[in-house]
Amino acid sequence: MKNKGGAAGDKPGFEDGEGSVVAEKLRKEFDGLVAVDDLDLSIRRGTLYGMIGPNGSGKTTTIKIMVGRLKPTGGRARVLGEDVPIVERVADIGYMPQEMAIYTELTVSENLQLFGELYSMKPGPRAEREEELLSMVDLRERRHSLVSQLSGGMKHRVSLACSMIHDPEVLFLDEPTVGVDPELRVGFWQHFTDLKARGKTVIITTHYMDEAVRCDVVGMMRQGRLIAEGKPKELMERTSTSNLEDAFMEFSWRDAA
Amino acid sequence: MKATRVLAVARKTLRSLKHDKRTVGFLVFMPLFMIAIFGYTFGGSLEDVSVYVVNLDPGVGNASASEAIVAELAASGVLRVEQVIGPEGDPARSVEQALAEVEAGNAWAAIVFEENFTADVLRSVADAGSVPTGVPGAITIHLDASNPNIAQAIMNEVQLTVQGVIVSEYHLLPPMTVSEVRVYGEDAEFIDFFAPGVMGLAAMMVTFMLSIISFVHERSTGTLDRLLTTPVTEGEIVAGYALALGLVGLIQSIVILVTAVALFQVQIEGSPMLVLLIIFVLGAGNQGLGFLLSSNAKNEFQAVQFMPMILFPSILLAGVFWPIEAVPDLLRPVSYFVPLTYAVEGCRSVMIRGWGLGDVWFQLAVLATFAVVMLLLSTYSLKKRR
Ligand SMILES: Nc1ncnc2c1ncn2[C@@H]1O[C@H](COP(=O)(O)OP(=O)(O)O)[C@@H](O)[C@H]1O
Ligand SMILES: [Mg+2]
Repeated sequence: MKNKGGAAGDKPGFEDGEGSVVAEKLRKEFDGLVAVDDLDLSIRRGTLYGMIGPNGSGKTTTIKIMVGRLKPTGGRARVLGEDVPIVERVADIGYMPQEMAIYTELTVSENLQLFGELYSMKPGPRAEREEELLSMVDLRERRHSLVSQLSGGMKHRVSLACSMIHDPEVLFLDEPTVGVDPELRVGFWQHFTDLKARGKTVIITTHYMDEAVRCDVVGMMRQGRLIAEGKPKELMERTSTSNLEDAFMEFSWRDAA
Repeated sequence: MKATRVLAVARKTLRSLKHDKRTVGFLVFMPLFMIAIFGYTFGGSLEDVSVYVVNLDPGVGNASASEAIVAELAASGVLRVEQVIGPEGDPARSVEQALAEVEAGNAWAAIVFEENFTADVLRSVADAGSVPTGVPGAITIHLDASNPNIAQAIMNEVQLTVQGVIVSEYHLLPPMTVSEVRVYGEDAEFIDFFAPGVMGLAAMMVTFMLSIISFVHERSTGTLDRLLTTPVTEGEIVAGYALALGLVGLIQSIVILVTAVALFQVQIEGSPMLVLLIIFVLGAGNQGLGFLLSSNAKNEFQAVQFMPMILFPSILLAGVFWPIEAVPDLLRPVSYFVPLTYAVEGCRSVMIRGWGLGDVWFQLAVLATFAVVMLLLSTYSLKKRR
């Protein structure tokens, strides 16, 4: 059985020394097209990690492998000390897909309830958590609206809330800020920073490279490979640039050369 | 398998249906509409079939067997005697005139009583008990048999009427009698026969349709993938859906049963609960079938294309409207592979024959096997997807 609720003491094979999310020569090919190219990655616990890169650089594919929705064609990936697809600690990860994978024919609240129930949350804590998240995504007034009647940005926010309902140890967010107003975006990043402060690991992909300055560590992806990794400030220093977008361009040049 | 997660999936499935008012309307009114339409169409018997009568028989003295028969025919509701031609006038012309009406499509039959009809009948009466000396009285029916049902009805009606008049007026008894004692279906009418069929058909149609469309939707929007990153297992998703759609089938069956009883006085000799159980198992199985096929459809439009492939064999071969004994030998084996066959047989036996669980266990077992196999295959196909 796949389930293993909550944070029990006997977490298998996971020591703090090892990263929460690890990739070793991870590879994914789609009929000859190399989407992820021998990727090495090690993300420590309690890190807010930004994965940036243009469309098609392999961010989504990498995340899907981590959450167990795609099988790698080579290499190895470990999450919370377990080889993917993880089974024992599956309840400790959260995932917000890039596409709008929520039930549009249910209300906001019903979506949250569904995911809460799938994580075996008790009705009390679940309701409390729902309030908290609805405030965070600013959808308290729309809780009883059908998702199909919300705007695109609102749907994204519902999806984000669903991925966090069970307060996971590791949170994979694939483009969580697309279509979110600047004002709310600031709030989101504040929330991600808070999660990190509580020891959670948050992995965020974005192609708005500049917003990744708020991350502890940024990994730059190009053609399925990590071309640079480090603190945002370091990356800018190493390229003598003043923003991550320019830094990425510089690293891309060097990589191509 | 964890019950709370199965229930969570079932609840969300029912809820998303519930929010869609038109779908709710469809789920409730479609079976109601089906049973009402079928009930009124097939429940009624043939009436007012136009015929012409050519009576060439002048009778013997005051007596005329043909006139007595014609009077009876005219009095019954089945035939409408448009005109009685003769016995005066040229016989050949009379027949021609009536035939022309049939040929023009104004009547379904021309019923011709031959010239010596009454005389022949009387001779038969006199001959009773000894060696017959003449030909029996003759009636010729010129039929437009382009509609077999109507042709059959006319022949039956004429034969029954002739027999009745001969016995009552001329005391000419047939040499033997055949009488019927109904073991089952004492007051059964045609609607009693097909109501269980329509019920199974409706439940099957809807569970299959909802299942295949829901899953194509789940796959294309990515929700299925997302569910599978949570602790919910493939088996729990499949079980949750089966539970929800089985319930939908159940509710529909209740609508059909209530309508059939209220509008058409359909009889339910056995336990209605047993009928519902059969339908539930059928629904769960079809949910699995819909699921399996959904992986071969890229979008809702492609999903709908599977509908006729599943529906037609079921409607035609499962004994919904005519018994599977009427299915040609070549196709009969297919009937036994259509799950609806067993649901219809089971429901029918419970409703008309009043059979219990001990009598329909075979049908129920076949349906349960179908359901289990479908659900296991669904689960397996989901697991394989990783
Ligand atoms: N299911 C798939 N089948 C074939 N190619 C795919 C599939 N998913 C992704 N790809 C290809 O893999 C590459 C990486 O895609 P993706 O991981 O989505 O990039 P990103 O998220 O960085 O935009 C792209 O070239 C994309 O076209
Ligand atoms: Mg992507």
